[in-house]
Amino acid sequence: MTELKFVFGDPHICTGCMICVNVCSMKYSKVIGPQWSRTRSVRIEPGLDFPLFCRNCEDAPCMAACPNEAISRTSKGVVIVNNKKCTGTGECVDACPYYAIRLHPDSGKAIKCIQCDACVDRCPVSAIWVTTESELNKRDSDGRLAALYEKHSAELYSKEEI
Amino acid sequence: MMLKGIGGEILWVDMARGTIEKHPVEDDMVKEYLLGAGYLSRVLYDAIPVGIDPLSPKNVLGIATGLLTGSMFPQASRHVVAALSPLTDIWGESHAAGFWGAELKFAGYDAIIFTGASSDPVYLNIHNDNVELLDASEIWGTDVFETDDWLRERHSKRARNLSIGQAGENMVRFAAVMNDRDRASARSGLGAVMGSKKLKAISVRGTGKLEVADPKDYLKHMDIFYERMLANPFTKERAKYGTTNLVELMNHIGRLPSYNMRQGVFEGFEKISGHTITEKHLVKPRSDWSCLQRCGRYTRVKEGPYKYIGGAPEFETQSSMGSRCGNDNLESVLYGHHLANMYGMDTISLGATISWAMEAWDEGLLTSEDTGGIDLSWGNHATIVRITKMIALREGFGDVLAEGSQRAAGIIGRGTGKFVMTVKKQEIAGQEPRAQKSMGLAAVTAARGADHLYAFPVLDEAGFDKEIRERFGEQYLPEMADRLDPTYKGIMVKECEDFMVMVESVGLCKYGTQIPPEFYYDDVALALKIHNGLDLSREDLQAIGERIVNLNRLFNAARGVTRSDDQLPERLTKEGAPKGPSPGQVVELDQMLNEYYEQRGWDLDSGLPTMDTLKRLGLEKEGESILN
Repeated sequence: MTELKFVFGDPHICTGCMICVNVCSMKYSKVIGPQWSRTRSVRIEPGLDFPLFCRNCEDAPCMAACPNEAISRTSKGVVIVNNKKCTGTGECVDACPYYAIRLHPDSGKAIKCIQCDACVDRCPVSAIWVTTESELNKRDSDGRLAALYEKHSAELYSKEEI
Repeated sequence: MMLKGIGGEILWVDMARGTIEKHPVEDDMVKEYLLGAGYLSRVLYDAIPVGIDPLSPKNVLGIATGLLTGSMFPQASRHVVAALSPLTDIWGESHAAGFWGAELKFAGYDAIIFTGASSDPVYLNIHNDNVELLDASEIWGTDVFETDDWLRERHSKRARNLSIGQAGENMVRFAAVMNDRDRASARSGLGAVMGSKKLKAISVRGTGKLEVADPKDYLKHMDIFYERMLANPFTKERAKYGTTNLVELMNHIGRLPSYNMRQGVFEGFEKISGHTITEKHLVKPRSDWSCLQRCGRYTRVKEGPYKYIGGAPEFETQSSMGSRCGNDNLESVLYGHHLANMYGMDTISLGATISWAMEAWDEGLLTSEDTGGIDLSWGNHATIVRITKMIALREGFGDVLAEGSQRAAGIIGRGTGKFVMTVKKQEIAGQEPRAQKSMGLAAVTAARGADHLYAFPVLDEAGFDKEIRERFGEQYLPEMADRLDPTYKGIMVKECEDFMVMVESVGLCKYGTQIPPEFYYDDVALALKIHNGLDLSREDLQAIGERIVNLNRLFNAARGVTRSDDQLPERLTKEGAPKGPSPGQVVELDQMLNEYYEQRGWDLDSGLPTMDTLKRLGLEKEGESILN
């Protein structure tokens, strides 16, 4: 199998403009509203802006958690939600360590990033890109990005944002 | 008609009774005034009585988002604050970017109007449908950053907060309304109005959505707007320097106010320049909601007495706390801006007031007896930082300067008034008008007193011949594009004002609409159509802008403003620029004003709108009550 892809961002380059979030909610829900978006953007002072996406985990705890087997991985390695099977139990949301899968405010069904690149194409500062574990390790050879995400993990992945 | 893409409701908060009402946005009002600045111009015209003290409970404070605030249009982040100004005693209006405006929309509201005053400190907490006034005694006395931290801890980590700092509480006459920590509705002293109402903050958490009028093609249109914005050569420059490199550009044309406003060139400009900031202090550029220009600077001073990290500065501060005070110590300028954000003050009036005192000191008219031993020599950066804090807290001589330069000169007397660089009691911003005549005219015609942004007539600044040709016509070239030629500047300022107040009413930024002049009426009309479902032509939007400017003028006319108030300090109209690239230049104000009034359909003697003009704009009723 080819290596799993995911979208990742640099909080030192991201300016926090929310365009990725807005593109996503418009593309998939035809509205503007961060709660309708499959991506998130979290500003943490001093000076950090984290664009946040599904990390496409190899063990995908969301898949295992779903009691309805609504979450599966495509042949290309993308974890997707089957809308017909999803009943909105929220088990996947609880299981995700990154708060990268959430329930759509209108349908109540799970939504998540499927690496469609719509936001990557439109980021005005190229702060986000499609990557893989090995590409990211190479790019982040000094561990700067990993350390930043680790340091702020509690706030970034807190599910009590409302 | 049901408007799309907005919150839908206006909050009316009675601060005395502690009651809150929700009213729907009225379509008829939107067709005549849009939202944002236009909406407030109408509501506050009706709500604020003539003859009141701006710091009394009778003043009414409005905060409004624009029709496109929270949309995906480039730079659609803005909100407007307005009230009777405690600095100028006339129309007070100020704008800021950030995320607060979009968050208000997601909570379901487009504007908030505050009447009366509370007897105890309170803050307004908005969480979608739930809106309540809460006790602010724990945060009264804290700065803007502490208030933001407290509100996030108390309510939601993701809340967007707007507040005053100590300067607003102490009713410093140029106190700002701050939001998202370092964004400022700085001018007109509206933070003092919040302070007078004992309103510390507005915390907003909105988790709703904006449904747009044309969801099918929305993204397609936005892609074109984004491409245009990113392809504009100014965007790259703006992202790299923000507004900071205007120091070197303005020094080059002699438009950098220095030593109060004695001259337009500063020998120490390189030390406080955008290049120096970018090289030594820039952490990263920061954006506001849907912003592709990213002019916001996030900077730091790593060590020493001026150590900080945060959002700063703008060109205006480099000018006001730097060159204008003869100060080439960059770290103090950056730290001064940081302090102004923290205490919540307008850096323009702050620096300009300090520089007035420095010139009076230099002339021997102000002594250490007045200042309590503080040395106000040009460039004394320790004084600039120290006095900033004293002004915010109204300590010692800071209490005098907290009144703004014109009132302070009234208190001190001894001929210090001739160094006051104000129009209608508000300090002139960082555009030495002898080197750009349109800016001199714009400063006197602006409704809120001296101001570069009401018209923002920058088309003669940097070779925008093409845009002048498109927006005005070939017949105005080359004169209109020549910053030293007063010809056609009345025409330019009038058109720019109409356009800019319209832009402030839809919630867009002047960056992207005026500099660079990428988006114009037709683009805004398209955005209003696909986002709000509003069908307004270019002519409709122009008429709305003109209506707002005229209503602002009537608001001021009711408070006694006439042509005799549309004046610059004599230095700028009578004393030739002493040095630099525009030597000997003065502002030919009367010539430009005549052209401007003519263009507006205003009476040349009184400087007030004629009844014919008001009838054309549907303001005859207002005109009859004021002009007769």
